[in-house]
Amino acid sequence: MKNKIIITGLFALLIISFNSCKKGFLNSPPYGQSTSADFWRNADDAIAASNALYSFLGDEYLFAHTEQTWDICSDDQWRAGDHPEDQAIEEFTYEPSNVQLNDSWSRKYEVISRANAVLINVPGIDMDQTLKNRILGEAYFIRGLIYWQFYKIYGQVPVITEADVINNDFNKPKASLDSMHQRIEEDFVKAADLLLLQNDAANTGRATKGAAWGYLAKFYVYRENWEKAIEYGNKVITGPYALAPSFGDNFTPATKNNPEMLFSIQCTEGWTENVTSIYSAPRPWGGWGFNEPIKDLEDEFETDDPRLTYTMAKIGDIIDIGGSSGPTEVYAGLTNTGYFFRKYVSWRPDGGLDNNMNIPLLRAADVYLLVAEAKIRSSQNGDAEINAVRDRNDLPDVENATMTELMHERRVELAGENERHLDLMRWNRAGIINLPAHYAIDRGPWKPGRTFVVPKNYLFPLPQRQIDLSNGTLVQNPDFD
Amino acid sequence: MKRFLFPKTLFLLISGIFFSAFAMAQTVVTGRVTDESSGEALPSVNIMVKGTSKGAVSDANGSYSIGLAANESVLVFSFTGYTTKEIDVTGRTQVDVTLLSAAASLSEVVVVGYGTQQKKDVTGAVASVKGTEVQNLPVSGVTQALQGRTAGVNVVRSGGSPGNAGSIRIRGTGTINNADPLVIIDGVPAGGLNSVNPNDIESIEILKDASASAIYGTRAANGVVIVTTKRGGFEQPSTISLNAYTGFSNALKTLDMLDAATLVELKRERYTNDGLPVNEVWNNADNAVQRTNWQKELFGTGKVNNADIAISGGGAKSSYMISGGYYDEKGLITNSFFRRVSLRVNSDHKVGKRLKIGESIQLTNSKDNSLNTLSAQDGIIWSAIRFMPFIPVKNADGTWGTSKASNEYGDINNPVFTANNTDASNINNRILGNLNAELEIIKGLKLKANFGLDANHYTGRNFSTIVTDQTRTTNNNSLGRNFSESYSLLGEYFLSYNKTFADLHRVDFVGGYTAQTFNGDWFSAAKRDFINEAMNQRFLDVGQTLGNIGGNRSYDALSSWFGRVNYDFDRKYLLTATFRADGSSKFAEGNKWGYFPAFSAGWRISEEKFFDNVGFIDELKLTGGWGQLGNQNIGGLQYLALISGGGRYSFDDNTVVGATQSRLPNYNISWETAEMTNIGLSIEMLKRTLQANFNYFIKTTRDMLLSPPTIGTVGTLGIPDQNVGILRNQGLEIDLTYRNSAGNFNYSFSGNASFIKNKVVKLYDGNYIGSVLYGRPLEEISRTYEGSPIAVFYGWKTDGLYQTQDDIDKDANITNDSRKTAGLIAPGDVRFLDLNNDGMINEQDRTILGSPHPKVVYGFNADFEYKGIDLSLFLLGNAGLSIFNADRMQGLDPTYSFNMYAEVADRWTGPNTSNTIPRMTTRRDNRNYRTSDMFIEKGDFLRLKNIVLGYTLPLNLTERAGISKLRVYVTGQNVFTFTKYSGLDPELGYSDGNKQINVDIAQYPQSRSWTFGVNVTF
Repeated sequence: MKNKIIITGLFALLIISFNSCKKGFLNSPPYGQSTSADFWRNADDAIAASNALYSFLGDEYLFAHTEQTWDICSDDQWRAGDHPEDQAIEEFTYEPSNVQLNDSWSRKYEVISRANAVLINVPGIDMDQTLKNRILGEAYFIRGLIYWQFYKIYGQVPVITEADVINNDFNKPKASLDSMHQRIEEDFVKAADLLLLQNDAANTGRATKGAAWGYLAKFYVYRENWEKAIEYGNKVITGPYALAPSFGDNFTPATKNNPEMLFSIQCTEGWTENVTSIYSAPRPWGGWGFNEPIKDLEDEFETDDPRLTYTMAKIGDIIDIGGSSGPTEVYAGLTNTGYFFRKYVSWRPDGGLDNNMNIPLLRAADVYLLVAEAKIRSSQNGDAEINAVRDRNDLPDVENATMTELMHERRVELAGENERHLDLMRWNRAGIINLPAHYAIDRGPWKPGRTFVVPKNYLFPLPQRQIDLSNGTLVQNPDFD
Repeated sequence: MKRFLFPKTLFLLISGIFFSAFAMAQTVVTGRVTDESSGEALPSVNIMVKGTSKGAVSDANGSYSIGLAANESVLVFSFTGYTTKEIDVTGRTQVDVTLLSAAASLSEVVVVGYGTQQKKDVTGAVASVKGTEVQNLPVSGVTQALQGRTAGVNVVRSGGSPGNAGSIRIRGTGTINNADPLVIIDGVPAGGLNSVNPNDIESIEILKDASASAIYGTRAANGVVIVTTKRGGFEQPSTISLNAYTGFSNALKTLDMLDAATLVELKRERYTNDGLPVNEVWNNADNAVQRTNWQKELFGTGKVNNADIAISGGGAKSSYMISGGYYDEKGLITNSFFRRVSLRVNSDHKVGKRLKIGESIQLTNSKDNSLNTLSAQDGIIWSAIRFMPFIPVKNADGTWGTSKASNEYGDINNPVFTANNTDASNINNRILGNLNAELEIIKGLKLKANFGLDANHYTGRNFSTIVTDQTRTTNNNSLGRNFSESYSLLGEYFLSYNKTFADLHRVDFVGGYTAQTFNGDWFSAAKRDFINEAMNQRFLDVGQTLGNIGGNRSYDALSSWFGRVNYDFDRKYLLTATFRADGSSKFAEGNKWGYFPAFSAGWRISEEKFFDNVGFIDELKLTGGWGQLGNQNIGGLQYLALISGGGRYSFDDNTVVGATQSRLPNYNISWETAEMTNIGLSIEMLKRTLQANFNYFIKTTRDMLLSPPTIGTVGTLGIPDQNVGILRNQGLEIDLTYRNSAGNFNYSFSGNASFIKNKVVKLYDGNYIGSVLYGRPLEEISRTYEGSPIAVFYGWKTDGLYQTQDDIDKDANITNDSRKTAGLIAPGDVRFLDLNNDGMINEQDRTILGSPHPKVVYGFNADFEYKGIDLSLFLLGNAGLSIFNADRMQGLDPTYSFNMYAEVADRWTGPNTSNTIPRMTTRRDNRNYRTSDMFIEKGDFLRLKNIVLGYTLPLNLTERAGISKLRVYVTGQNVFTFTKYSGLDPELGYSDGNKQINVDIAQYPQSRSWTFGVNVTF
């Protein structure tokens, strides 16, 4: 009896040990996750990967806030808020260790990495060609968009493309200026080629040909290639991207995806958060009170320009902030300068910030003015495009507009949309304005005179953290060593 | 079929029956108790009649006398500091007894992997901590109680929140990766020590060197902690023991912050110094009214309560130990708590003559909450330090005070509100148990099997209310629930064999197979938009909108073969050889298996003939060993490029989810190997009253596994662990114990010290390993460089403040600095040192500023006992280390819209007003508050960790109530601390794995506590 028990026991033990010796015992399956080897199977995977191209853009440390920090350098706004590091940016005393620089660096590369993954893997998927083209177009577009942003802020950065990902080569030196240009141009051109003219209702908000053409027009204006700027700009103007009936439609949740909105970060209440709204709204009204416009900007608006009310709130304006407060007057002390950017903020009827606002990145109106500028600067007449933008505001037409009128129009039309400081630098490079003198002007307590050093302050320094981590590969921008 | 009973048992049984007929008969036994080695009389020895509460005490000459009823035959002799002895006195009236001092502990048995060894035969480095040393201390878990108990074992506390266990580091930080040791509870490799009721513990063994721990191969690179819980003894009458204590705790200290009036003055000064108009809010006289000391409001009085009961005993064939315990700790901060209910059943059974079966089961239910206390962005302690002192906790209308009115008041929510409003908790239900069998095949050869289960069921909840009145608002309320289940199954089978040949050669072998699987399964669900936030409505059913739902599972496994041979010749020369082969699912095919050998030898010099004349040394043993160990404490599947779902977006409000690669793969990831050499010397002398152990070790960790911060061009996806470098720890450990007595007065002193040097010998990529950036200013503080210890402080050197413009103009450090020419440096700014002599202060001037590692970690214990009164003191200290006070770095910085440290009142206001606290300004041009030596402080401390004063009532008073022992005591914890460190608490621990150590980020400080307790044994 006893021996039987023992033998049975031993036998049981042996079975268990054999069981644990069996093949597969030491293999850990990746439950619920795919690996890159078994992911890219079909159109659904490709669509999911294309969704991921967009999902990071609205991150607080990407376009929702950090990329909006650079325009505090302009003459439109005071930094406000409580990020002490912003002072150095506004006053051109920033150093490579400035927090804002490193915050967004790896996030931008994350978006590039998602685009590269699509460009490497989607071509091999057996799927509908139209859809495949759209998805590849989206990847080129998003990658181009990020390199374009890099280019505007830092000039030159490491360019990571499909081949680098395949070769696991990430510690690269800065690309030459020519390769930066080439990368941006090529990506947007390919995107324009592959993308749809318009997306169906379920896909509104994905990049379109219009968005790619718009960025190409802007790129060529920066490159002072007037012919191409006009060519691509006109594709937008003659395309299905009509200006909204009212300027304000662009900043209202109900009409946020009107055809003028070439590209914006899409936000939906309860699903994604519009962090730009939180940053822009005054503190007592539920926001964090950053980026406050100054009087100098208000003064730029012509009398009766309705764009003023949509662009910025000022003391005495009545704004419906919903809930128990309802329509409420903007009072002195609500913000420091007395203003806040109205463009980015809307309140829900039941109170609280409305997360259904989108974050605009490129509007057709911007492209109209780019074409106008290209025409003016290549000795042509740009009145038609300027007046198209002015007309919907019932403002009188301009005639034989010069850069003076153009610069005014860009400032009021695009105030707060992160164009002003970049425009001013562009115009200074071209000798149209004297930016150091312009920035030296004292514009009151919220914008005292500042020292802009040419060429040092055309660019921001690369983040010190990245230079340290690159172990000598990444070289700092001139004048920041 | 079975032989009847053991002869002795049979004899006792028969004699019991026989004598019971003459129950009234009474014999008197007399005798004398002496010390076995010295022969001196032992007074005050407790003599009990086994199985009764009858007892006597020896007199000054060691003599005793005790009456025995006819059915009573066994006497138990016990005395503090001596090994208890049981003697069968049947048929004798004169019984002289010698007791062995417990200091003569070489005869003690220590638990080693897969077996036990007599301490005198041990050739590896093994430390033992008795259960009695860690009992009834007001701590939530045994990890904390281990702190400072033995050399080479450091317990690092990362904050003092209830239930926060701290980390055990054996022989230094062995790797930058997870350096936690393997914890084995009653034979089951199990994660946490904290679910074990400390009062259930019989002993804790710590295997420190490779030789001792190599039998656990892959899992032992950071040492092994073996916990053995109490078990009942066969033929032991039932004993019931009750323990209860209760106490309270208070904050050790709060930081001095500026009062409202001074703060307003300094805020104004920032603007006037910069030539800016003063922000309107600082003209408001109401803001100069001091209303709240936020730290005092946040840190209240904590409470601790513990009660447990244990019943143990056994018969001829079965023995048992059953215990239940309840521990309840409320932290200093409102709403912070840790509660544990535990139940344990241990039993042993003899089935027939050759088969033994044993079982241990532990059930625990613990609950704690999740206050955000660690963040230097919005953690509540960090917030309480900085919140505006003129804001009331609550306004007159009952609403919570808020900083919402102005950007100048900081973006912090009222920390008292946050603590009160937090509704988050974690509940863990754990079953930890094993079933083991031992079959004696032939004499000396045993087959053993051990099956273990460690199952944990976790549920978490987190309800966020709508917050509109604070600066950081929450627009939608939501409830998240998490459920996870993890279970680990262990199966192991091994043979042990021992035999002595020719009375000289003794061989002891153990070897076998062990496999363990680790399964995890979880899901979570969330809903938003609860119309009603009442506590009884905070359930998922009430939420209107579906939030995230997720779930997944995981599997890992280890499979291993092991063997160990001990050989000794004539009890003088000892040899041990160990080998283990390990397969792990953490690595890809081809890298799965690792092989780990170890050898050690010992020489008991005191057993040699030539040593006979050295009278004052009773025992002297020299040991040496070498071995390799593995570490695979890393996340699984790192050799795969994983694609994860997630990433929300919408297209014109049509919601979608993205999929993206979540981690780079490392196809070549492989074992981290620790190679260790150990030399040890143990001595017992002066009639075994003095015991000393010395160990010197070198531990080299190769192919150290770590996920280093990586260049941003790879994006934000997860970076896999990589085999990044070589680390070396070398050190000396000293343990000394002295025990003696004078009359009724027994005393003992013990001390231990570890001197450990840590050095990164090689980083394969030649660069450095960074760590997390600190808080708001994102300042880099700690880096790991080749040739330095792990996680040294890295930044700028300073030399006071510029006192005058002339100082600035003449300063060679900034001859070519553009900030000087631009007029951005002003008197009252910090003078940074230009280390590379280029006349500019920039990133190239950074250097290593100090090391966070103590040169010595020490503990000191003193116990006194006199006629039932016992007193014990335990002190703990660290010396020779630096702390980086990051909280102060930001606390002095006037550019933030926060309150500042009180010392800022003594700021620079003109030439020679201060050389340490810079001027007030809103500007950061000189970056006065960058990482520099200004914020490095000495971190040395000596802390009276515990003081216990107890009184055991005389037996003759208590025995009438059937109580064999009744002790009352009072315990103080963290009673006082000698330190020059200015922060809340010098015990800071880790803030970024092992990559950042001893950086003060306003961790939850430890508290001072007093408890009152009672032990009763029936």
